[in-house]
Amino acid sequence: MVQKKICLLGAFAVGKTSLVMRYVNSIFGEKYHTTVGVKIDKKQLVSNGQDITLMIWDLAGQDDLTRLRTSYLRGVAGYVIVADGTRPFSLNTAINMHKEAREYTGDVPFIVAINKADLREEQWQVEAEQIKALEDDGAIIVLTSAKTGEGVEETFQLLTQQMLKSELAPLDNTEIK
Amino acid sequence: MSQILSKVFQSMNVAVFDHPDDQTLQLLTEPPIWLGQFCEKELVAGDSVQLVGLFPFLDCFLDEAEEFWDSKISTPHRSGPWVDFTPDGEEIPLEAVALWQDDKKLLIIQDLGEEYYNEVTRLQGYRDGALTQEMLELEIENQTKQIRVREEEIAMKLLSAAGHRDHETAAHVRRIGLYAEVMAKALAWDEASTADIRIAAPMHDIGKIGIPDRVLLKPGKLTEEEFEEMKQHAAIGADMLNGTNIPLLKMASEIAMCHHEKWDGTGYPAGLDGKEIPESARITTIVDVYDALVHKRVYKEASSENAALKVMEQMVGKHFDPDLYAVFIDNLPTIREIKNNYAEPTEA
Repeated sequence: MVQKKICLLGAFAVGKTSLVMRYVNSIFGEKYHTTVGVKIDKKQLVSNGQDITLMIWDLAGQDDLTRLRTSYLRGVAGYVIVADGTRPFSLNTAINMHKEAREYTGDVPFIVAINKADLREEQWQVEAEQIKALEDDGAIIVLTSAKTGEGVEETFQLLTQQMLKSELAPLDNTEIK
Repeated sequence: MSQILSKVFQSMNVAVFDHPDDQTLQLLTEPPIWLGQFCEKELVAGDSVQLVGLFPFLDCFLDEAEEFWDSKISTPHRSGPWVDFTPDGEEIPLEAVALWQDDKKLLIIQDLGEEYYNEVTRLQGYRDGALTQEMLELEIENQTKQIRVREEEIAMKLLSAAGHRDHETAAHVRRIGLYAEVMAKALAWDEASTADIRIAAPMHDIGKIGIPDRVLLKPGKLTEEEFEEMKQHAAIGADMLNGTNIPLLKMASEIAMCHHEKWDGTGYPAGLDGKEIPESARITTIVDVYDALVHKRVYKEASSENAALKVMEQMVGKHFDPDLYAVFIDNLPTIREIKNNYAEPTEA
């Protein structure tokens, strides 16, 4: 069975752990529990008829006290950048972390997950233009909600497809500017 | 290993491995309880252990550790904490340390136990606080934006009321603000001042409210006395907007006072020249002339943009600040877009 290491990156409290919990265990908790260090989970899935095991590295969120330790990205086949759609600051952090990760990983596939999409009617702070600008720069964006499950399966499936595709062909040189 | 050291390691929940070659990790200490929870067979000191399959985190860290051992630095190299789950689902926080000692590659793995949870509690408190602060800042930002929108609406309503006297349209005052905002952004003004000029620039002629109808609405050319009277609108406007500590009104007052000053010092009311004239007023002067030229007035037809720019070029260095005019030209596509999006009702 093919095994792929993927990482979740993003600011603190954007819902990285909740996305993993939803995807791996189909559960969601309302309360915010901070992650310290790394939590590794495993999920088996089938993509394009191929059995894959994802080793999902949930990295502690970035804040003033915790920076991205790029060595955790060693051997990564793809990553998910997570931002919180209700916190504009988290989108900036996500973009900066992507740039930092890119320098270490090179052109591996990535997905931008804009989480907490269940709040998009009330508290959404991400402008349509910001999403368009990211897409124009080659990012695949998925609106996710760890609470409702919206876009969660899709995020990991899309990333897996991209990772399998990148094994066959070199990636486009896409960057978030 | 001495009995004392062995007890120390046990009490610290530490497993120490020697890594003599790429394949082997040999347990030097008695196995701590947590290690036994991950292994199927019972371990004793001296056993070779296959850790990579047991702890996926070490797949990554051992590569990093190899580089560290190759460098033969004596300072310990820490992995940072990671959380693993026993086959029974119990969460165990661990940290690995690579150490080069007596020409040996040593790997120490420790169950962080309470130390880890104390750190979680500390960071949780910090992040909860940071999250609350971020939410409050966002709320303030949103409220400030709403206040700005209201301020702008009130200003536009008042200006449109004042504009009824001299037939200035709501679209004109709106355009002046938006053009000025484009200029301020291009000049890298801070966010607050950029927002201020969008509302302040349209108020430049508010002093006309104090000019008598016989002068303001006179269809023909003004006499010298009448022109002198008309020139009072700059000071009247500045006076109306003066005397507050509100940055927006302070800027509006300086624009009202100085929007007829000229770069070469031949303007009014004070005959200021060059950079003595506030930048906000120098910006407003350029965009006001542009808008007046490209739109129809009761006394003239609208000029084409090319014709307007020819006229304006003649004014550079005399009426206009040359540097700001260059910025205006650089941003003409955006300014033209505003002109088209906020056309006069009859032009739409």
